Amino acid sequence: MLRKTLLFTLLLVLLTACVAQATPTPATLTFTDGLGREISLNGPAQKVISLAPSNTEILFAIGAGSQVVGRDQLSDYPAEATNVTDIGSSFEALNTELIVSLKPDLVLAAEINTPEQVKQLEDLGLTVYYLKNPLTLEEMYDNLELVAQLTGHEAETATLIESLKARVAAVDEKIAPISSRPGVFYELDATDPAKPFTAGKGTFITQLIERAGGQNIAADIDGYPQLSLEQVVASDPAFIILGDSAYGVTPESIASRPGWENLSAVKNNQVFPFDDNLVSRPGPRLVDALEELAKLLRPELFQ
Amino acid sequence: MSTCIHLSMKVPRPFLTSFFFLIVALILSIAIGSVFIPPVELWSALTGVTSNETFRTIIWDIRLPRTMLIVLVGAALGGSGAAYQGLFRNPLADPYLIGVASGAGLGAVLAMSVNWPYTGLGLLAVPLAAFIASLLTVYIVYLLANIGGMVPTTSLILAGVAVSSFAVSLTSFLMLRSTGEVRRALGWLLGGVSLIGWDVTLTLIPYLAIGLTALLLNGYSLNVMQFGDDQAVQMGLNVRRAKVTIVVAASLVTAAAVSFAGIIGFVGLVVPHIVRIWWGVDYRRLIPLSIIGGATVLLFADVLSRIIITPQELPVGIVTALAGAPFFLWVLRHSKNQGLW
Repeated sequence: MLRKTLLFTLLLVLLTACVAQATPTPATLTFTDGLGREISLNGPAQKVISLAPSNTEILFAIGAGSQVVGRDQLSDYPAEATNVTDIGSSFEALNTELIVSLKPDLVLAAEINTPEQVKQLEDLGLTVYYLKNPLTLEEMYDNLELVAQLTGHEAETATLIESLKARVAAVDEKIAPISSRPGVFYELDATDPAKPFTAGKGTFITQLIERAGGQNIAADIDGYPQLSLEQVVASDPAFIILGDSAYGVTPESIASRPGWENLSAVKNNQVFPFDDNLVSRPGPRLVDALEELAKLLRPELFQ
Repeated sequence: MSTCIHLSMKVPRPFLTSFFFLIVALILSIAIGSVFIPPVELWSALTGVTSNETFRTIIWDIRLPRTMLIVLVGAALGGSGAAYQGLFRNPLADPYLIGVASGAGLGAVLAMSVNWPYTGLGLLAVPLAAFIASLLTVYIVYLLANIGGMVPTTSLILAGVAVSSFAVSLTSFLMLRSTGEVRRALGWLLGGVSLIGWDVTLTLIPYLAIGLTALLLNGYSLNVMQFGDDQAVQMGLNVRRAKVTIVVAASLVTAAAVSFAGIIGFVGLVVPHIVRIWWGVDYRRLIPLSIIGGATVLLFADVLSRIIITPQELPVGIVTALAGAPFFLWVLRHSKNQGLW
C-alpha cells in the first residue's frame, strides 16, 4: 500500500513537472522605438492610449479603433475617436492620473511629445512607444506597418498600404507627362498680412504640392518660414492654398488685404481653402491631401 | 525704515500657525487630483495596505513626488525672496531680480534646440543647462556691479535688469527661430512641474539644504544690513562677505528650483510680505517662516491649478500670478501701516 502511494506521488510530481515545462511561454514582441528605446509586449496590444491626433488616425485606419481606450484632446478624426476618453493635451498637460487608471498596455507617443513626457509615463510603469514622424510617404507606410505589428492588424494594413500606393500611383501617372509647374503659395498663418507664414523645404506640403504638379514658392527655405508680402508678390504664384481656413480665412478675406488684390491667384480666383490637418498629421490622410491638391491644381485631369 | 526690530505680532504663535497651514496644504495636495480617490482608499494607499494598484501608483508615483517637489520649490522661492528683499532693502525684490530666471530660460531654450539622446544624461540636459546658465548670469551681473571691491546694491539691481533684458530678448529670438520647440519652451517658461519623479526631487535636496541653511544662518546679518551698508560696517559686520554669501546661497537655491520647475513668479515676492505683515521684520524669524510659507502657498496654488479647469491643468505660474496679485492687495489693505519700510 505504501509503495503504491509512493509510486503514485512520484508519477504525479513527474507529470506536473512535465506539464509545467510544456506550457509555452507567451510570445514576446520586441521593438526599437523612435527614441532608440527597447520595447517589449506580451502580444499585440489590446488597450492603447494615443497621445497624438496622427496616431489616433493611424490606429483607426488600420482597424485597431476598438483597441483605443484613450486619446489626446486634439484627436478629432475619425468621428468615432471623439467618443474615446480624452486624456488631456500633449501640448499642455497630460492627465497622467487618468492615463494610469485606464491601465493601458501600450501608450503610443509621437514627435509632438517631449522626451520628458515619455520619461514621465515610463516611470509610472507604462509601455510607451515613440513613433517618429515620417519624412516621406514611404516612411509613412512603414509607420503604418509598425503600428499594425504593435496592435495585431498586419493583414488589414497590408491591404490598406496597397490601396494607398495605388491612389498615389494614379496621381503620379497623370502628372508625369506635364512639364509646366504652376507656382503655389501655401498659407499657414497671416495674422500679419504683410508677413505670412508658410511651409518650406522638408515639409510634407512641399512634397505633395510637387507631386500634384505644382511648385511651392518657398521650396528653397527650410522649415516654416515667415515670408514678406514682397516675396509673395515677386513670385506671383498661380495658386494660393489657405491652410488656415480652419481659422476663418476665406478667399474673400484674402482679396480685402492691402496689397494682396494684385496677385494673379486672387485676380483669377485661384484661392482655395484647405484642411491643414490632412498634411500636418502624418498618417494615411496624406494621400487624401495629395488627391485634394491634384484636384485643385489640375481640375481638368482629376474630377 | 523700521528702527524697531521686535514688532508686536499680528497673529500669535507664528511657527505653529505656519506648520498648521502647511499640513493642510499637504493633505489637500495628496487628496486632490483628476481621479477621485475616496478618503478610505487614500489612507490605505498611503499606509501601503491597499490592493488597488492604480490608486497606489497614483498616490506614490504621481501625487507624492509632485507634492514633495512643490514643497521644495516653494520653500526655495520663499526663502530666497525674503533674503533678496532684505539684501536689497527693496519691497519689490524677488528671487529673479539679478538674472536667475532669465538666465535659466535662456539655458533651457538653448538646450531644447538640440536633440539630445534619450539617456539618463540626455534627459538632464535641459535642467542642467538652465542651472548652469542661471548661475553664470548671476556671476556676470555680480562682475558688472563690482565697483572696486564693493558691490553696491543699486549696481546689482541695475546690472541685473540690463542682463535680464538681454537674456530675455535672446531667448525670444531663439524661440522664434526654432518654431518646432516653441510650445515646449513656452510650457517650460510658464512654470509647472514637468519632470516629475522621485529622482528629480532627490536631486534638488542637496542644493536646497546647503542654500537654505546658509540663508537661515544669515538672519542676523540681514537684520543689521537693514540700517544701510555704512552703518552695518560700523556695527562690525563684514558686509561684503555677507552679501556674497546671501547672493550665492539665494541664487543657488532659486536656480535649482527654476531648473526643474520652470519660472514660477509671485511666490518669492508675496510670501515674505505676508509673513512680514503678520509676524514682523526680524529676519531670523522671517527667513524660516518664508520658507514654510512659500511651500504652503505654492502647494495651494498647485492644488488650484489642478481643479480650476478640471480635468485639464493650468500651468502653476499662471495661478500664482492670477491669485497672488489680488490676494496680496487685500492683505496690504487690511494691515495697518506699521512703517515696515
